[in-house]
Amino acid sequence: MSGGMSGSVTANETCTAQQGVPWYKNKKLDQWICFWSVPFFYNLFGLVFVPLSWMMPPRSPANATPEIVAFMQSPNLLIACTILTLALGLSAVGNALYACQMKRMSVSPVFRFAFMAGAMVGAIVGCLFPMFCFGLGAFRPGYDPEILALLYDFGYLSFIGCLGCFFLNWSLLALAILLDKNNTLPKWLGYYTIWQSVTELFAATVWIAKSGPFAWDGLLAFWFNMVLYVPWQMIVYICVYRAIKNQPEHELANAQPVPRAAYA
Amino acid sequence: MTSAVDAVTAAGDIDAKKSPAFPGESSMWFFIIGDLLIFGVYFVAYMIYRGQNQALFLHSQQFLNQGIGATNTVVLLTSSLFVALGTQAARVGKSVDAYRLFGLAVVFGVLFPFLKMVEWIPKISIGITPGENLFFMYYYVMTGLHLCHVLLGLVILGFVMRNVRVSKERSHPPNIKFVETGAMYWHMVDLLWLVLFALFYLMR
Repeated sequence: MSGGMSGSVTANETCTAQQGVPWYKNKKLDQWICFWSVPFFYNLFGLVFVPLSWMMPPRSPANATPEIVAFMQSPNLLIACTILTLALGLSAVGNALYACQMKRMSVSPVFRFAFMAGAMVGAIVGCLFPMFCFGLGAFRPGYDPEILALLYDFGYLSFIGCLGCFFLNWSLLALAILLDKNNTLPKWLGYYTIWQSVTELFAATVWIAKSGPFAWDGLLAFWFNMVLYVPWQMIVYICVYRAIKNQPEHELANAQPVPRAAYA
Repeated sequence: MTSAVDAVTAAGDIDAKKSPAFPGESSMWFFIIGDLLIFGVYFVAYMIYRGQNQALFLHSQQFLNQGIGATNTVVLLTSSLFVALGTQAARVGKSVDAYRLFGLAVVFGVLFPFLKMVEWIPKISIGITPGENLFFMYYYVMTGLHLCHVLLGLVILGFVMRNVRVSKERSHPPNIKFVETGAMYWHMVDLLWLVLFALFYLMR
């Protein structure tokens, strides 16, 4: 959390330097904190998933039981699950930022409510379930190898096979961008988001295929999706950064104190 | 959805002033080129995996219904022809003709998903599912992805018809940029199917 906070500080210093307002009085401080929590969150996730636990790139679905047991009971996986347990909530903060910007679009509020609900479901199956599965293996060393193999399957299928549930999420975002008359986010980003959401559907195949291009470590179900997804995630954040920066202050939706409103 | 058309229309007007050389809207060109690149990657991957299991792919291919595949090709090409004729009519301001031609295009377009179901349902009911082998996984995933494009295309053609109908009623020329953008998308769907048909049904 501290990394996210310090990030927001630097952003606001550069952003408000010309206005002569201290960063903590910036009216968009809430959005900037959310914004800078995202790179912090993704970098942390990257470190935990790749060099710490080697959960990613995905291990083979065809791995033999001894390899699965060794992975599920490794101390690094335990540390990774601990960090994930503590940091998982940050995804909500990042998604709130999307919703904030979607609120500025000239589309029905249904879009942002459904987007938020979809993001919550996504975080549960895409992050919480795998964390529980791998965490059970790491924190409870007494399980039988067969049960560990089940948890391994459950964890990976939930992590990668749930990408279909982000399909709804990104489709709603894409549609909102394309329908928006205020040009809050650029139209081409809407189209890029459509590719992103359509290729997510390819991950549905990981439930059927255990090897080859459609398995959870396969060329089409995983690697090609990553080739589209990683740049997309970065580009989306650059666009959101510009959207916050260009947002007029009178448009900010914070409730103001009402004079003489003594409700209590 | 109304605002979609208006937003696209408004964007089209701006584009029209900037770049008169290209038909349609520039953001749709961006989408089409990117979509073709994405499909291109899938096609190349298909060819590589086919090369590794040629016997399996050739054997599985025999279970596909070439008759329906060929009919669907003709259906899409005919639909595309009507879209092209409709766009031409819209360009010269013949809104009534354009409306009828786009209507015919939609009628042929709707046949495509219908025939697709005629093809898929018997296959799935005798147990040929995506889990059968790599060929059928490819077959269902790729033609399914294309089918999604067809369904989206039908929605877009519906908006084009609405645009032409409004112009007919108010007797002003239709929004050409928007009509062209819809037509471009439909031709892309057509082009993708030609490659899919060749790769899955015809290649020996």
